[in-house]
Amino acid sequence: METSKLQQLQQAGIDTQEALGRFMGNEALMLKFLLRFPQDPNHAKLLQAMEAGDASAAYAAAHTLKGVAGSLSIKPLFGQASAITEDLRSGHLTAAAEKLPALIQTYQSVLQAINAL
Amino acid sequence: MHIDQETILIVDDDALNRAILENLFSTAYAIAEAEDGDEGIDKILALGDSLCAVLLDVVMPRMNGIEVLRRMKSLGLTDRIPFFLITASPDDDIVHQAYKLGVMDVISKPVVPYVVQRRVDSVMELFRARRELSAEVIRQQNQLLQQTKQLAQMSVGMVEALATAIEFRSDESGAHVRRIRDITCHLLRTTPLGAELTKEQIDLIGLASITHDVGKISISDAILNKPGRLTAEEFELMKTHTVKGAELLSQIPQMRNHSAYQYAYDIAMHHHERWDGRGYPHGLKGNETPIWTQIVALADVYDALVSKRCYKDAFQPSDAMDMIQRGQCGAFNPELLHHFKQAESTLIQFYTPTGGDNK
Repeated sequence: METSKLQQLQQAGIDTQEALGRFMGNEALMLKFLLRFPQDPNHAKLLQAMEAGDASAAYAAAHTLKGVAGSLSIKPLFGQASAITEDLRSGHLTAAAEKLPALIQTYQSVLQAINAL
Repeated sequence: MHIDQETILIVDDDALNRAILENLFSTAYAIAEAEDGDEGIDKILALGDSLCAVLLDVVMPRMNGIEVLRRMKSLGLTDRIPFFLITASPDDDIVHQAYKLGVMDVISKPVVPYVVQRRVDSVMELFRARRELSAEVIRQQNQLLQQTKQLAQMSVGMVEALATAIEFRSDESGAHVRRIRDITCHLLRTTPLGAELTKEQIDLIGLASITHDVGKISISDAILNKPGRLTAEEFELMKTHTVKGAELLSQIPQMRNHSAYQYAYDIAMHHHERWDGRGYPHGLKGNETPIWTQIVALADVYDALVSKRCYKDAFQPSDAMDMIQRGQCGAFNPELLHHFKQAESTLIQFYTPTGGDNK
């Protein structure tokens, strides 16, 4: 991959080296799933469920989003999604809602970096 | 490390997770995938023993990983195939449950390739070693059984040879005692006479019949091999071989502890009793003599008639049967005589030219 693109991804908080390691150095496979990330519905599902005040649906979406972010080593998103998942696991909707704007911001910048590839 | 046809099954609803694990193991193993617990169970049952590991996600639609484990444990499969739980949220409750259901390891997501590989590999190695060990144990067990059988056969051969040597003081084969054994076992197995005995008991009685005349070791050659009729005095001495035989058996500790002993003792003691109570040594009447001893006594008489002995020539089997049925050679249980007559065609087969000593 070109160095500039790698840097873009790294600036958006993606630990490309760790992610590449998880794919055993298979760059094509890593890219395939990175490029698929914008179509992952769990971010949208999370926002919808939070809007509707549905803690259990929000928990399921946050949990899955956390898993994907973790597997692709999208570090800040993984951290934020984990925190929100923990809040929602114990039903703390307000606490989760407070953390949501930061997550949305991170998500947008990750999307930008990926779409620029 | 790679062994042909060993398959790792990955059960996860997320394509990304499956791709990462597949990419991790596909160089060394065949990979199968399932997208939920239901499909996972179908694949586990279909792949059976070709599976070397199952990597299981917890949160899945249709059926979760814990439920999959519960079903696999109830089928005993968690003992045969190593299961791994791969989970993004390893909370204590789930981990505890999973271990109780027989999971071998709980690995957290996002996975670290080196760690997953090492942990999965070492558990698979353990299962492989366990399988090889149990195969080896089965092999050795079979070998031991084989050796035990050979030893038992040798013991019977020794007893036959010894019994024959004692009975005839000659180097005849053990055919006489073998035929008595065969006739006794045949009647007990195939007629109502043996209805109350198990297969094992009948085998023991057969074994015990071999030593019926062991007491003849105490009878002198002059009497034992006398060509003509015995005098009254000589006959009294000859009769003691029953009591002497039983005593001899009771003096061998290994014999006393053998499960055939009670039969052997009774057969040696009472195989010259008669149905009418005029036999020896105790003058037992009717079924006071156990049925198996009555059978051995009858087989002994029959075999003596159709064989050549120092004091007589061999009779034709049909003549021998007639003499016995007419009561010319002792008094026997009428029911026993009936079944003996019925079995005549089979009995004759025990006297084939290859197996008999009835020259």
